[in-house]
Amino acid sequence: MMSFKKTIGASAIALALFSLPLWAETVGPGGETATPSNEVTVDAAMLTGKGYTAALLWHDQSDFVNAVTAGATDEFTRLGIEVTITTSAGFDAAKQRSDIETALARSPNIILALPLDPVTSAAAFKPALEEGVSLVFLSNLPADFAHPDDYAAIVTDDLFQMGKQAADALAASINNEGKVGWIFHDATYYVTNQRDNAFKTTIENDYPNIEIVAEAGISDPARAEEIANAMLLRNPDLAGIYVTWAGPAEGVLAALRANGNKTTKIVTLDLSEPIALDMVNGGNVAAIVADEAYELGRAMAAAGARKLLGEETPPFVVAPALTVTADNVAEGWQNSLRIDAPASLTGN
Amino acid sequence: MTEISEPVLSLQDIHKAFGGVVAIETFSLDLHPGEIVALVGDNGAGKSTLIKMISGVHAPTSGDIQLEGNPVTFADASGARAAGVEVVYQDLALADQQPVYMNMFLGRELTKGPLGLLDKKSMIAETRSLVEDLDVRIPSAQAIIRDLSGGQRQGIAIARATHWASKLILLDEPTAALGVAETAKVEELIKTLRARNLAVLIVSHSLDQVFRLSDRICVLRRGQQIGVRRTSETDKNEIIAMITGLQSS
Amino acid sequence: MTLLPSTFDIRNYIVYLGFVAIFLFFAITLFDYGFLSTRNLTNIVLQTAPATIMAIGLVYVLSAGEIDLSFGSITAVSALAAAVTMQSYPMPFGVAAGLGVGLAIGAFNGLLVAWLRLPSFLVTLATLGLFAGVARTMTDLRSIPVVDPAFTGFFGSGQLFGVPSLVWWTFFSIAIAHVIYRQTRFGAHILATGDNPRAAQVSGIKVPRIRFLVLTFCGGCAGLAGLLYAGRLQAAKYTLGESDLMTVIAAVIVGGTALNGGKGSVIGALVGSLMMGMLNNGLILMGLSVSDQMIVRGLIILVAVAVSLRDVTR
Repeated sequence: MMSFKKTIGASAIALALFSLPLWAETVGPGGETATPSNEVTVDAAMLTGKGYTAALLWHDQSDFVNAVTAGATDEFTRLGIEVTITTSAGFDAAKQRSDIETALARSPNIILALPLDPVTSAAAFKPALEEGVSLVFLSNLPADFAHPDDYAAIVTDDLFQMGKQAADALAASINNEGKVGWIFHDATYYVTNQRDNAFKTTIENDYPNIEIVAEAGISDPARAEEIANAMLLRNPDLAGIYVTWAGPAEGVLAALRANGNKTTKIVTLDLSEPIALDMVNGGNVAAIVADEAYELGRAMAAAGARKLLGEETPPFVVAPALTVTADNVAEGWQNSLRIDAPASLTGN
Repeated sequence: MTEISEPVLSLQDIHKAFGGVVAIETFSLDLHPGEIVALVGDNGAGKSTLIKMISGVHAPTSGDIQLEGNPVTFADASGARAAGVEVVYQDLALADQQPVYMNMFLGRELTKGPLGLLDKKSMIAETRSLVEDLDVRIPSAQAIIRDLSGGQRQGIAIARATHWASKLILLDEPTAALGVAETAKVEELIKTLRARNLAVLIVSHSLDQVFRLSDRICVLRRGQQIGVRRTSETDKNEIIAMITGLQSS
Repeated sequence: MTLLPSTFDIRNYIVYLGFVAIFLFFAITLFDYGFLSTRNLTNIVLQTAPATIMAIGLVYVLSAGEIDLSFGSITAVSALAAAVTMQSYPMPFGVAAGLGVGLAIGAFNGLLVAWLRLPSFLVTLATLGLFAGVARTMTDLRSIPVVDPAFTGFFGSGQLFGVPSLVWWTFFSIAIAHVIYRQTRFGAHILATGDNPRAAQVSGIKVPRIRFLVLTFCGGCAGLAGLLYAGRLQAAKYTLGESDLMTVIAAVIVGGTALNGGKGSVIGALVGSLMMGMLNNGLILMGLSVSDQMIVRGLIILVAVAVSLRDVTR
């Protein structure tokens, strides 16, 4: 199977992937169709006792990275694979290259990494490729890397699902009817663009009684409050507002509070304590949609291990999105980040 | 060929004003080779202005400066140095973290070869023979200035001036910061300059020192040249009277 | 008098002792983890090459009693200038653009410091931000690939007599910079200027000219570092060099260069830079978490810098 694909080249691989089930509309950087992460599994029995090792080469440090690391480490432990190296490049492309070289001194069998950008990471990941390391990438792909020979898979959030679930959650909170505002990220950025457009598409296609009457782009989260004020001034009867992520949502919330508005609902993306606090206190926030970072890490580890066994993983794997409401805050934090929700939210 | 009577430095009717403020009224003085002349006066009398004019930092408003009979005008301190006039500043102008030999050749380092690399060997050798000649006792030519005593530093500053001066050395308060023993040592060193046929102009607040060292004493008061006396023909009372303007007898 | 020569000072050798101690520690504890492999040791040199070149420039600037905080931004702008130029013109133009931009920004710093008498700390703090912004706008935050194989070989992955080109760059840069620093009048005048600017001035040294030249030189070094980064990554990005500021300052100080001028060592800066690279490398190989790596590295640098600077209040 592997050698056959090698000979027919990349275009045939793309064709082969069309036969996979279409589960969501999130597509990879190269137009790859998405595969849900729960389909990427591996049998521990075939790997234990082999003494395999893995390196985790991240782009930066954050609670998101911590959750991915936890998911990957737990899965590797289950598979009897030791994580020997963990690095953070601090968004420095040169440091990422050095981290890769350094990690290779300990000859890991698997590398999980978030390439900082396709251009600079192409040369950086070459040495790992030449050593035959099983590579699994998070969200980004080094330029000219071909699946399945060069890397096992790209794993990322199901961006379309996140936007869609945000739309569903907002619709539910306003009884599927009314006027809503759409505050999107006004920049060319793959992650936010996919999520924002998925929200809009879902509202337009699935909810005939909901109308997007106001659209506003933001590029600077600090200006979210002004933008929300202007939007509310022109549309005082908004039933709900979608905000592209939690940071600007805090500004929108501030605008609603300043106007004494207790009825307009907010839905936004990514977990944030102040936003969740308003939600559990019965304020404007109706729901937060989060990614399952822990599951991302688990799926990356599994994909890397599968390559060691010669099992091919589809090129583009997505972890599910998670709708968090006032009822499931504790579970939401656990499922997304594998940490306890802040005490202020759970009353502990 | 040496004509003892011809002055090394000749100042004629020097006048200096900064804007409307007169710093030096009229000043004339001849310095001969092998002669030590002391310049005394209260603070603000114009001593440092005079030193700065001779060393090329300031130009006189009017009057002539002659070196060995030739009128000179210095564009800056480098011009004076090139003409053979060296100054030992009160702060010594030593680079503290550099070795003795680099200070000895500061700004005038010796080089060799087509690449113009520093000739450290020659600089060290010349430094060594110079400090031996002048009996400046330092651990080595490679010693760092910071590790030396005040007297040793003063000795090096004077040795440097001696090495480069072909005609004249100006000494500004050479022992102000030194103890008794070190002062004596430095004064011995200054006396040896006489034997090298250099002219020395020394500014000092210590009249005892002035009387121990100098051949003649020149007194300034508020920009006025009060007079010049042979050290052997005057006494402290007269000089004090000239400095202060109060007749004591 | 002690038996030691008066010029002997343990602080001048601390970087070598520290380097050997850290090397031995890693060699023993990481023996099974590939630390001593030729490839890993070569990697350390390759990874530190750009920082080492930046460190040379900083040794000159600090020795003259000034400081340059902007070299990281200069590195990014130079790398981008070279990469953008080589999209349309052959390699020599890219090299000239990279180096030229570095020298020009350095000269700009130098003009402000030498003749307007603005403090170099403030001037270069301002130009650090200024040119970080310029690097971002130059290509709208995009990374620019560098595909010319001659360039990436010469400045990045190439070899000469089996030795990687970045090792050659490090070797020649250090050798030339060391000779200029220790064996020429220019080097002596830099040290004199940093040590006692008034003494330098009255000794006929053109102090403003020295200040201008060291800052220009430092810009040139940053430009060369930018070319090496571009060659190594086969791409240029606005972040290049940005995170090197603290590492390079630490390497230079640990290497025996005084923060307030008059004393320094090019070789020491090389060893300091290699020490920083070795520390990064070893702590990663030990398998420490990212946060622990930062804590341990910070503590070691703190100790090394404290020992190197112990006498400043003497």
